[in-house]
Amino acid sequence: MSLDQYAAPAVHLMVNGQDMTIDVAPSKRLLAILREELGLTGPKRSCEIGRCGACIVLVDGAPINACLAMAYQCAGKHITTVEGVAQEGEGELDPVQRAFLEEGGFQCGYCTPGMVITVKALLSHTPDPNEDEIEEALSGNICRCTGYGGIKRAIKQAVKWRNGY
Amino acid sequence: MLLNRSNSGKRWRVRPDGPGKVTGSMAYLTDFSAEGMLYGRVLRSPHPHARIKAIRTERAKELAGVHAVLTAADVPGLNRFGIAVPDQPVFCEDIVRYIGDAVAAVAADTAELAALALELIEVDYEVLEVVDDAERALAPESPQLHPQGNVLHRSAYCAGEAQRGFECCAHIVEETYCTPRQMHTYMETEGGLFVLGEDGRLNVYAPTQHGFMDRMQLSRILAMPQADIRIVSSPIGGSFGGKDELNVQPYGALLAIASNRPVKIHNSRWESVRAGLKRHPMKITMKTGVDGNGKLIAHQVSIIADTGPYATLGAEVLRFAVEHVIGPYRYEHIKVDGVSVFTNNGMSGEFRGFGGNQAIFALEGQLDRLAEKLGIDPWMLRLRNMRMPDDAGPFGQPIAATEGAQQVWQALQASRLWQERASAGMGSSFSATTSEEPWISIGYGAAFTMHGAGLGVGIPDPAGGRLTLAADGRIEAVFGYEEFGQGLLASLEQMLIEQFGFAASDIRMIIGDTDVVPDSGSTTASRATSMLWKSLQNLRPMFQAKALEAASRLLALPAAKLRLGEGGIWQQEEQMLLLTYADLAMYSKERISCTTRFHFPTSPVDRVGAHFLYTYSAVAVKISVNRLTGRVRLLDQYHAVAAGPVINPQGFLGQIEGGSSMALGFTLTEEAVMENGLYLTKNLDTYLVPTIAEHRGTVEVEPIEDLPDFDQYGPRGIGEVGSVTLAPAIASAVHAATGVRISKLPIQPELLQLQDIESFLQRR
Repeated sequence: MSLDQYAAPAVHLMVNGQDMTIDVAPSKRLLAILREELGLTGPKRSCEIGRCGACIVLVDGAPINACLAMAYQCAGKHITTVEGVAQEGEGELDPVQRAFLEEGGFQCGYCTPGMVITVKALLSHTPDPNEDEIEEALSGNICRCTGYGGIKRAIKQAVKWRNGY
Repeated sequence: MLLNRSNSGKRWRVRPDGPGKVTGSMAYLTDFSAEGMLYGRVLRSPHPHARIKAIRTERAKELAGVHAVLTAADVPGLNRFGIAVPDQPVFCEDIVRYIGDAVAAVAADTAELAALALELIEVDYEVLEVVDDAERALAPESPQLHPQGNVLHRSAYCAGEAQRGFECCAHIVEETYCTPRQMHTYMETEGGLFVLGEDGRLNVYAPTQHGFMDRMQLSRILAMPQADIRIVSSPIGGSFGGKDELNVQPYGALLAIASNRPVKIHNSRWESVRAGLKRHPMKITMKTGVDGNGKLIAHQVSIIADTGPYATLGAEVLRFAVEHVIGPYRYEHIKVDGVSVFTNNGMSGEFRGFGGNQAIFALEGQLDRLAEKLGIDPWMLRLRNMRMPDDAGPFGQPIAATEGAQQVWQALQASRLWQERASAGMGSSFSATTSEEPWISIGYGAAFTMHGAGLGVGIPDPAGGRLTLAADGRIEAVFGYEEFGQGLLASLEQMLIEQFGFAASDIRMIIGDTDVVPDSGSTTASRATSMLWKSLQNLRPMFQAKALEAASRLLALPAAKLRLGEGGIWQQEEQMLLLTYADLAMYSKERISCTTRFHFPTSPVDRVGAHFLYTYSAVAVKISVNRLTGRVRLLDQYHAVAAGPVINPQGFLGQIEGGSSMALGFTLTEEAVMENGLYLTKNLDTYLVPTIAEHRGTVEVEPIEDLPDFDQYGPRGIGEVGSVTLAPAIASAVHAATGVRISKLPIQPELLQLQDIESFLQRR
């Protein structure tokens, strides 16, 4: 085993449904792996302290700040970025994405990948969230443009579609 | 009618840039990378004020993987930048004046190596006395930060004799208002990619609000002809004024040229905080008097703005504040004196509202306090003193006449929220409700404003654009404006569809690339939608005539029988598509292209900065105050906005809701705290922008679209107005709820906490 291999052991991940083996240092942040190694620039770099949520991805279905997660913590996990949320057969957009699109749940769009992931995670376990549950789920996602009005309307719309009313 | 999706019908459209944003497929400029790319970093001063005695870069240069290490000696052209006055060093030569000041920059193979290289640069500083207070900076004994001293700019306005006016007043209110150093907090920090082409031209992919201004400034710094520089500047992950001035561009450009490799720079949040612009902290002292009937007699104002170490648009922001402390009211006597002061604090500059936020908070506070002295409803006092449609502007300058002031006043008066206040019997007096939580007090408040658009008299403010039928049959709309999220592309697309009859699929919009767009002026000052509208008004008859004449020749039909429509040229009366745009482009011998150029309308006076077009707004709020914690919650808000026709309903609503959210932060939580020239708030854990938790209340937006029949100017800007009227409305509501007058933002909860809660509850 060479020193290089020792410094950068292979990490196995499943990213957006694809098996991957990446040679990175165990402390490398997931965000850097996604953006720089894999070219997935949907997750955004903004505060890098886990406060703003622009980098949020699903790790085994749970929303995680990719700026804080290290490579070794993601080994063997299923990672879903905004690029991977639309399921095959649903068309090009997930209903959450379509709701953001139609209701104007974004402006500059930089927080949107994280917002979409967070809402997707929320609805996966709470299909009809009340205001408290929405607030709790989205309190780690900052949007500077919209004042959250369009985002709240998008969530309502996504809930309607999901629950068929 | 309230603005929402259902009331907008088919005018509520999906944004053209939406699919790429919700799927994450749209690449921002900070998402770009290039083969062989290096990572750039800037070494910034650790001291707010110091003399540079020596800089040693040898060790950094020797580090393997480092390809360029630059200092002031490496700047081929002007080692300065600044939109209005180029006084900010690209690299400091001798003195550093704030902790964002750049001293050196490096480009290396990896971000880690670039960070290591910064640590290997040794700078010897002699620390100097820090000027961290704008008022003290004006004292003669203060260290002088620039050859001209510590005054960047003074601006004054005088009409009548205020001193004499006060002698005739029945009531006078004197108060000093302080506003915070607010941070733009665009989610995408500054950054970009810089690529020197094989042809020797420099390609800059970095956000800005005016590509041609960046090109001019970079040309000056690099000593490179402007024609050799290409600025690609959209899409942008938020700006709010903060990316209008140069930020990382000089360093990226110099490093790319020095290393002959593509260079990427993307600021960390902390670097964005320390180097970037903020809203000017202002201290505004007002003395305002009324007669016994509540008529405003005399208004005297002094403004001190902390502009930080360099000019950027500090003078322009001050002039705007001077105009907006006068605002939409009639007075007999006015005297305003403003000064913008250099300090060693952070850079202050352009920020949504542009000095209006501070001015309106203070002015509306005065109206509330005067109403209390008079014993009348504060909203009625506004009506009593409001400007009339044909009145001159705040500086006595002719302005475009509208009934905006009356319209928004009446709309608010009739609004559900204000009616609720009336039926709750809550005037200006102290009030409180809820029996389950008796420590929660409820209050209603309102505020009113006129906000100027465009750069104002005396500042070049060009506009224009181009429409071309491209070879592939697409109609290209080409403008030098930027998309930073406000919805410029959506507005442009909607106007092309509604005013020309095109289908969305007929249109190709091109913006944000100095190689292909005309200079349409800056995307600032709430001007771009107005200028797009005016451009299309000018272009429509030209484009229509050219296209129909060309089609007429091809179809052997009179042009009068033809019209533009979806997909191509239609027969005027029969609903029949006769010629597709693609065929028109292919077979027409003449190129169908039209250009317009004009200037933003200005008032015919020589008062620099005076505005001609204004947007009017009135905001009502309902808030609760927890008297145990002092926490204020915004429960309900209503915005009336008189800005002419709504171009894009979704965009309009988003601008007012979003602007209001920014104002909520300005009012309750946001302050980039500085101590001795150092930032104490370095990231979003301590700098608190509103989250969804602060936005549980309802928001109603009521646009007032009527303009006088003779009006030539169409839609007024709405990019800023949503952010300027909320703070005084909340302050007014806090007073109604608690009896406490707010004169400093953000509101300090301790002011609203009851010391003796038991006796308070017993009194209830």
